[in-house]
Amino acid sequence: MIDIALGDYFAPLLNLANYVAELPTSVQLRESQYVMPWVFVLHVISMCMFAGTILMMDLRLLGVGYMQTPFSQVQRRLFPWQMVAMFISSATGLALVWGNPLNYVTNIIFWLKMFAMVLAAVNALAFHFITEYTVVDWDAGRTPPSGAKIAGWLSIILWVNVVLAGRLMPYALTWFRS
Amino acid sequence: MFEYDTYATIAGWAVSRTINESSWIFPLVQAFHLVALGFLAGALLMVDLRLLGKGFSQQPIARVARDARPWLLGSLVAMVLTGIPQFMSLATKEYESPYFRWKMGFLLTALIFTFTVRRLVAYAPEGRFGGAVSKVVALVSIGLWTSVAINGRLIGFFS
Repeated sequence: MIDIALGDYFAPLLNLANYVAELPTSVQLRESQYVMPWVFVLHVISMCMFAGTILMMDLRLLGVGYMQTPFSQVQRRLFPWQMVAMFISSATGLALVWGNPLNYVTNIIFWLKMFAMVLAAVNALAFHFITEYTVVDWDAGRTPPSGAKIAGWLSIILWVNVVLAGRLMPYALTWFRS
Repeated sequence: MFEYDTYATIAGWAVSRTINESSWIFPLVQAFHLVALGFLAGALLMVDLRLLGKGFSQQPIARVARDARPWLLGSLVAMVLTGIPQFMSLATKEYESPYFRWKMGFLLTALIFTFTVRRLVAYAPEGRFGGAVSKVVALVSIGLWTSVAINGRLIGFFS
């Protein structure tokens, strides 16, 4: 018999969210009528840049897109854009959470999004440290090895889930809290 | 054709009302619209970055454009297919929204620009157009498509 309510485990997190919510910067963000929408806009635009450059690289990994360019070139030339976009996405994402921390930490879809992002990062690192070592063997080839294809599929599935979760977050209220 | 009555008729269709009354159809369509946007942005950026002399700069522009083409066309189809149901269910609201009109204006301009000027410059033999022309075309393309996305996002906020 477990006697502890599930909510107890999340108490520190809720306390933190409550603390942030009362900080002046959080209050200002929340109450600004025009800043928030534009933070959302920037978040979407940087998502376009990030998802766009990631997804096109994934298509190359799968062997279905940009096959006239060697993979190492695709990876190397897109990497700086991916990093810049990730930075803007993270900064605007953090601002969104900062402005409404309680809305996010109590939202199951928010945590699904965070979980998918962690998995996507693990996938990228695993690819980098395992399959990418053999890149000279398949760099310009028609069919990338299965390790590359798996990494490509996982990346597409996970990042698509991140985008879907991002857009569906506000609906968690109507779906799960009736 | 652009009278209020037309929008009201569309919003009144059974399909439109079904989308509107369902708690999950609209959110899912909207979410996949955003996924398609990711693919579209990628296909556009590969060519625009190349036109700027960035991205796959070791490849000829036409080669990058040819490789991007199926993904550009595919994602545009996905955008339209996920965009139309959203418009149908909210037709009367869209009629009132200035952002919807801006979005459609930018979309039409962006489409025309992409399939005329940008296409011509991207597929031209190497050296036909100078670097300056390519760069301007890339910046206009990025500017137009970004405006489409921005106004699209704003429809949801201020309508």
